Amino acid sequence: MSTIKEFLTNDHSRCDEIFADMEAKAGKSLTSARERCVEFIDATEKHFQMEERVMFLEFENKTGMTQGPTAMMRQEHSQMRNLMTQMLEAIDTDNKDKFFGLSETLMILLQQHNMKEEQMLYPMAQQHLSAESDRVVSMMESLIVE
Amino acid sequence: MELAGLSTDQAPPIEAPLRFFLTAPLFGILAGFLIFFSDVATLMSRFSVDSIVVAHALTIGFIGFIMLGAMTQMLPVLAGAKLPKVQAVSKYAYILLVIGTSAMLSGLSLENSTLTIVAFIGLGLGFLSMLVSIAISLIGVENFTATVKGISTSVVFGFFIVLMGLYLLYSYITKDISSAHVIVANIHSVWAIFGFCGALIIGVAFQVLPMFYVSPKFKSFCKRRVIWLISTGLVIWLFLSIYYEEYSLFAKFWVALFFLAFATTVWKKLSQRKRPISDVTVWYWRAGSIYLALGAFLWIFDEYFKHEYIVMVGILIGGFILSIVIGMLYKIVPFLIWFHLNAKGYMSIPTINEMINKNVARVQFVLLMASLIGFIFAFYMPYFLELSAVSFIISMVLLQYNVVSPVIIYIKTMKTKPDFDMSMFAVNKE
Repeated sequence: MSTIKEFLTNDHSRCDEIFADMEAKAGKSLTSARERCVEFIDATEKHFQMEERVMFLEFENKTGMTQGPTAMMRQEHSQMRNLMTQMLEAIDTDNKDKFFGLSETLMILLQQHNMKEEQMLYPMAQQHLSAESDRVVSMMESLIVE
Repeated sequence: MELAGLSTDQAPPIEAPLRFFLTAPLFGILAGFLIFFSDVATLMSRFSVDSIVVAHALTIGFIGFIMLGAMTQMLPVLAGAKLPKVQAVSKYAYILLVIGTSAMLSGLSLENSTLTIVAFIGLGLGFLSMLVSIAISLIGVENFTATVKGISTSVVFGFFIVLMGLYLLYSYITKDISSAHVIVANIHSVWAIFGFCGALIIGVAFQVLPMFYVSPKFKSFCKRRVIWLISTGLVIWLFLSIYYEEYSLFAKFWVALFFLAFATTVWKKLSQRKRPISDVTVWYWRAGSIYLALGAFLWIFDEYFKHEYIVMVGILIGGFILSIVIGMLYKIVPFLIWFHLNAKGYMSIPTINEMINKNVARVQFVLLMASLIGFIFAFYMPYFLELSAVSFIISMVLLQYNVVSPVIIYIKTMKTKPDFDMSMFAVNKE
């Protein structure tokens, strides 16, 4: 089974690919990108919840750090949720400029967020949760999005 | 483990990188005017005062400022490293570097020793304080990725080129230009281009290209070995060029080979990117890889042609570095503004795309490219120089406009406080 770091890093790449495909479709018409946009939002939401409801909680319980890196990551998740909602609104109002403005903003926010997680938080989590790694990954895999 | 990048409270204040970014185009404009008022014959000699002054207005004033500003902002994100006392260090280093660069440019132009002494102190303290600060922050990094290796290698070369630069500047103060001067100047410039700038750009590209454009990742051989292979090549080149100059071609070939490979890899990765968006930053990466490929190739053989061809190598490689740093600037500045405003709770703010006028950015790109090509043509048709200098100046003015625009949005938003929504910060509780 993959480690926590590998599992979540691979999931980042999966979301990136859906995002790229969504933008490619949006270039042609926003309507045709709607389905892919919803898929991207769902995939990202699942990723966020895997972290917030499983990995972050395990990490916080283990380290006692509730106001540290996980709090910051949660805040950035909120920023991204907000942008994703606006992207869907831009599709529904067929506002291409707004959509691409939001998607570019989200992309950079998302990537610098992912980088911080992959460079710092995941290695830390892997280090602290190495004994429980398989269990944590399995819980994340089986998570049902709320 | 350092958690600097994981907290906005500990992240560098917005002024730390912005003051460098806002100043850089001013030195670009100054360089354009210096070229305009010079002439081809003088600029064709790399050791003429005009050439040295123009080169340093661009390398220190423009490229150096953007790179240092970017490091204060990107180190927490790319490496999880935070500069110690970032606010104070970046502020005082900035002041020293502005004074030092201005004093160097004017001191050399006017042959004024007092100004050159001020430059020696300002640049020495400014650069060394930044480099020491960056080095300290990198020592604590546990996850030593290929990008961190690139940045660290760049910093090591940075120390050497600053010390060599200070030695060269000291020669102008004492007016004692020894036989070692030319050798040191040569090493200083080659290590600055390929060691300091090259290693930094390659290291950052490993991370940034797959990230911003969803391009395929660089191969692990590339990420693990290229920086060391280039560094080794540069050290071998140093010894050969001092002791066995006739063999230095082999080391040049070695170093250039990896840069040629990097240039073609960048082009290929961009072509294979999954994200279809083609904005001005993609144009800049592509243009940079063309300039690098041509420049690295010409650098291997320049000495077999006219002596002045080294200046053409300088224009081409300079075109590579300018392209990459400007491309990065267009990504970093609007994001910085958006991120800081959003983190303060402002929701009704322009998106990144709305902060920079795309058409102005495109015109700026075209004018810069036209000016660089024009500078090369000026070798054969001197009347191209003034026209190209004008194009370069306008391009830098437009760049300044594009960097200032998002900052004005930031200032206006902070003053008018259009909305303030704390709901975003609500933490999901189980």
